[in-house]
Amino acid sequence: MSAQLDEFLIDVKPQKEWGWLVITYLFLGGAGAGLFMVSLYMAHPWAEAFGLLILILGTLFLMLDLGRPERFWRAFFRARSSWISRGCYFIAALVLLGGLNVLIDFTVSDWGILTTILRVGAVAAAVAVMIYTGFVLSPSAAIPFWNSTFFPIIFFAYSLLAGIDFLILASPILPPPAIEVAQLEKIQFGLVLLCLLLVMSHLSVMSGSAVAARKSIQLLTRGKWAVLFIGGVIGIGLVVPLLLAGPVLWQASFQTVFAVTAVLALLRLFGDYLFRFLVIRAGLYDPLL
Amino acid sequence: MARYGMVIDLNICIGCNACTMACKAEHATPPGVFYSKVLEKEVGKYPAARRVFLPVLCNHCKNPACEEVCPTGATQKRDDGIVTIDHELCIGCRSCMEACPYGARTFHKDEATYYVNEKTPFEEMKQNFANGIVMKCNFCADRVDQGLEPACVQTCPTECRIFGDLDDPKTKVSRIIAEKKARPLLAEKGLEPSVFYVGS
Repeated sequence: MSAQLDEFLIDVKPQKEWGWLVITYLFLGGAGAGLFMVSLYMAHPWAEAFGLLILILGTLFLMLDLGRPERFWRAFFRARSSWISRGCYFIAALVLLGGLNVLIDFTVSDWGILTTILRVGAVAAAVAVMIYTGFVLSPSAAIPFWNSTFFPIIFFAYSLLAGIDFLILASPILPPPAIEVAQLEKIQFGLVLLCLLLVMSHLSVMSGSAVAARKSIQLLTRGKWAVLFIGGVIGIGLVVPLLLAGPVLWQASFQTVFAVTAVLALLRLFGDYLFRFLVIRAGLYDPLL
Repeated sequence: MARYGMVIDLNICIGCNACTMACKAEHATPPGVFYSKVLEKEVGKYPAARRVFLPVLCNHCKNPACEEVCPTGATQKRDDGIVTIDHELCIGCRSCMEACPYGARTFHKDEATYYVNEKTPFEEMKQNFANGIVMKCNFCADRVDQGLEPACVQTCPTECRIFGDLDDPKTKVSRIIAEKKARPLLAEKGLEPSVFYVGS
């Protein structure tokens, strides 16, 4: 009896190669770049340095994930086509230009036009670090759930959100200038709304996509990751902070209490990490036929 | 320049895995690493139940997604269309594995041998690669360069695998693809695979 090609509708298969080390890099790398960018705007050299440290820590996780970490430098050689290679340049540029900005802000020196160039370059590098990981995922022909133009924007929003949350958490121990946590909380409110909108839009678009993308959504909304996604990412990470902060943020008498803002920041950071975890773990390959 | 490819006739594959073993012997791949393998599946219901087989390997795509995402240039496409990995350049980031829709690549994570803690002289001689890298079928490029067929093709007892130049319409592989309306896997991905399947 002859074999039928169509009988090989072998089921979708989860990706298992990228795990917690890559996920932790996605989280810390984005958060570090986000924190640096916000701190640069606030001209707070300590916070800028903190952001760069988080980025470097995240990069160490990425290097640990490599099969041959001692060969990491080879990843700089294919920037013409590989987003991972481009990412290496973005990270290196941010560490270099960011480091020089920290130096300028610490020494309160003015290098004239060079200062402006360094600031613009550092901001561009920070934005690139926040979004390029989305471009690593979004062209994927193999994993339809990742094949979405939303990812660069979602990762940018989540990175900024996490960066500001790290700043809020560090605010009591950072030396002057003082950090306006009340202002930051208002920004966070907007960013949380944006993240919620983007995540929902992504799910909506993907629900009409290839079979593996639909199965990924099933996993997140009704399957094994549903509790973590609906309860953790959407509930704890986005909706609960909105409900807790929303009613009081724009009252004239609004003042921040560190214990409360710290809880809000931790909830959002938890949701952010979980989001990146689930995006990676819910990646499924299409069936072979 | 030729563009090498393969056609596999599923109507005559008997699922013997001779290709799998020939490939292992040719490349001395470590445990868990298969450049070529045979997927099998039971279809139908008793009394009409039967097993069907799908031999799979790297599809040596004309537009290889793996090559595009590789950050080091370890994955390369030769002029003859064969997609190879330079094991010395691979950093083990596995982005190629995430990009390949065929699951044709394997991460050789840990040093492992078929015998406990010891490599056979054969493995010592053939395994000129480190652990922590990604590995895959290279259409037996060394053999092809010597004018030979890939080991899996030469070994197949039913001759269900035919290898040759896809750009030359006179070759056996091109004629079979045309006559039997062979088709590749996941053609809709746009990668233009060079491995075709005949299934009735």
